[in-house]
Amino acid sequence: MRMPRSLQGRLLLLVLGLVVGVWLATATLTWIDVRHELDELLDSHLAQAAALLVVQQAAEIDDDHRGVDAPTLHRYAPKVAFQVFHEGTLAQRSSNAPAEPMLEFTGRAPDGFRTIAIGGTAWRVFATRGRERDVQVFVGEQVESRNSILWAVLRSSLGPMLLALPLLALAAWWAVRQGVAPLRLVGRALAQRSPQALQPIAVKGAPSEMTPMLDALNRLFERIADLLESERRFTADAAHELRTPIAAIRAQAQVALGAAADAERLHALQATLQGCDRAARLVEQLLILSRLESGAEHVLVAVDLAALARQVVADAAPLALGKRQGIEVDATEPCTVRGDATLLSVMIRNLVDNAIRYSPSGATVKLAVSNAQGVVELSLDDGGPGMSSDDMERLGKRFFRVVGSGQEGSGLGWSITRRIAAVHQAVVRVARSRSLGGLSVEIDFPGQRVA
Amino acid sequence: MRILLAEDDPLLGDGLRAGLRQLGFLVDWVRDGDAAERELRTQSYAAAVLDLGLPLKDGMEVLASIRRAGITLPVLVLTARDAVPDRIRGLDVGADDYVVKPIDLNELAARLRALVRRAHGQPQERLTVQGVALDPAARTVTQAGVLVTLSAREFDLLHALMLNAGRVLSREQLEQHLYSWGQEVESNAIEVHVHHLRRKLGSALIQTVRGVGYVLARELLKLP
Repeated sequence: MRMPRSLQGRLLLLVLGLVVGVWLATATLTWIDVRHELDELLDSHLAQAAALLVVQQAAEIDDDHRGVDAPTLHRYAPKVAFQVFHEGTLAQRSSNAPAEPMLEFTGRAPDGFRTIAIGGTAWRVFATRGRERDVQVFVGEQVESRNSILWAVLRSSLGPMLLALPLLALAAWWAVRQGVAPLRLVGRALAQRSPQALQPIAVKGAPSEMTPMLDALNRLFERIADLLESERRFTADAAHELRTPIAAIRAQAQVALGAAADAERLHALQATLQGCDRAARLVEQLLILSRLESGAEHVLVAVDLAALARQVVADAAPLALGKRQGIEVDATEPCTVRGDATLLSVMIRNLVDNAIRYSPSGATVKLAVSNAQGVVELSLDDGGPGMSSDDMERLGKRFFRVVGSGQEGSGLGWSITRRIAAVHQAVVRVARSRSLGGLSVEIDFPGQRVA
Repeated sequence: MRILLAEDDPLLGDGLRAGLRQLGFLVDWVRDGDAAERELRTQSYAAAVLDLGLPLKDGMEVLASIRRAGITLPVLVLTARDAVPDRIRGLDVGADDYVVKPIDLNELAARLRALVRRAHGQPQERLTVQGVALDPAARTVTQAGVLVTLSAREFDLLHALMLNAGRVLSREQLEQHLYSWGQEVESNAIEVHVHHLRRKLGSALIQTVRGVGYVLARELLKLP
């Protein structure tokens, strides 16, 4: 049988099922016990009656006796019957007893109790004989009468219970309903909630069994609220950040439209294209940041940071050489960290791009990856103008704000770098470069034992 | 009309400067808050376009600072921050207009002209003094209904004098109205432009106040 889906139905079914089960067991035990007692009592009556008949027959024997039918004295009498045989001849019998012996004498004469069928009815018969073995007595009783008693006993003892069952079911239903009321309350409260409502849910007098569930639910609400808030902030910030490049594109396009001279128009159109590229880059960075912000789990695997560094420098080299800058990488031995190769690549590229962009022509950009006592360190030095300690401070604290420098950066690069470092539990340090005089960025991946 | 543009974004700054120039403005462009404040304190501008997210010094701080210093020029805040509290704060701190990026250049120019006009107590776009009518938007001048052709500098000079009709403007003040940075100013440039204006519009229009400067009288004085 399938359990009902509702808790209430389930509890009700269990309670009522158990009650009925216990009652049935009780009834069965009562049945067995009563029948046993009844059999014992009535059998003893049969035996007693037989003994009486044997004694009486022994006293009254005469030769010319005829089979005499005893009168029926009570309306229950047909349910009992007896036969007395003397030397094989029927001496006495009750009016409802057959003429033939109730039990056949075959070989050994029967003795004791038997249950037999006479005329289609079940009889309990006790057979015995006198001391001289010439008197044979049979006393029988209809089995049905015993069953009637049994049923009567059961009826009177279990009947009230059966009557009480619907009442009990009703009471159990009410009790269970009361018991699960807090659940219904929570359900109703949740159903009535608007999708924006994420404040903790509180149920007055909630049972202790429900507390873990409510706590978990409230923690979930909290996490969802945080997530929504961060999404909302992100969307607002993204829209906000895109306004400036769009304004620039619009202004430049308008300038191109209104330009009188070809040179002016050309300049404005080139600036328009540049603006589009910048907006596209910004969108790309926003997407990366959004993925980082969404709190999704990142699968961290063994990644060779040195190889990544070499690849990024190889990619960025044309840009640096175009600015007549020197670019070098010191990452010869493999340095394995647990990380996301794509994210780490983005991070290193951001750093290198920044260094190239902010460093003047002729400066050097140097990327190094080293491994010391299980700590993998990525360091980037440049010969650019560096940063005031104030700006470094702000660089660390600021999130998602344009780092004003006159350079056309979105200011997202640093946010992304810090986020990616955080995903890898890496520590970022920014300082003045000792070797090249510009900015030095060091990122430590601590506790990453090389396998 | 000479205005200061404070915008740190290179592409946007470049575009705004070029666009406003096309529309007849003289534009000085600064890229950080410190420079903006310095220029506003030392130079005379008809108006300023101020970005809020400026490096070194936030636009809002610049605005508060120059207002404290008693500089009353009209300031149009051009920003990406569009939240109502930001707008309210901007206007409360002393912005005369608050515009969210992106903006149409023609609208920006119109807003700037309106700000300048209101700053001079002029309710209408067209300025009319002594039968001479100047339309700042169309950059046209008519006298008795007849179009008078002026050079850009002559127009700007006349515009400055008409905006300040009844007030004497010194040669230096007029130079500041007419030239942005880096533009070579001949020592007698103003005299030359005044001379040309008098030739085109009649000698009685602009009067010389010796040792002080020039003035355009609101009403033509009837000499006995």
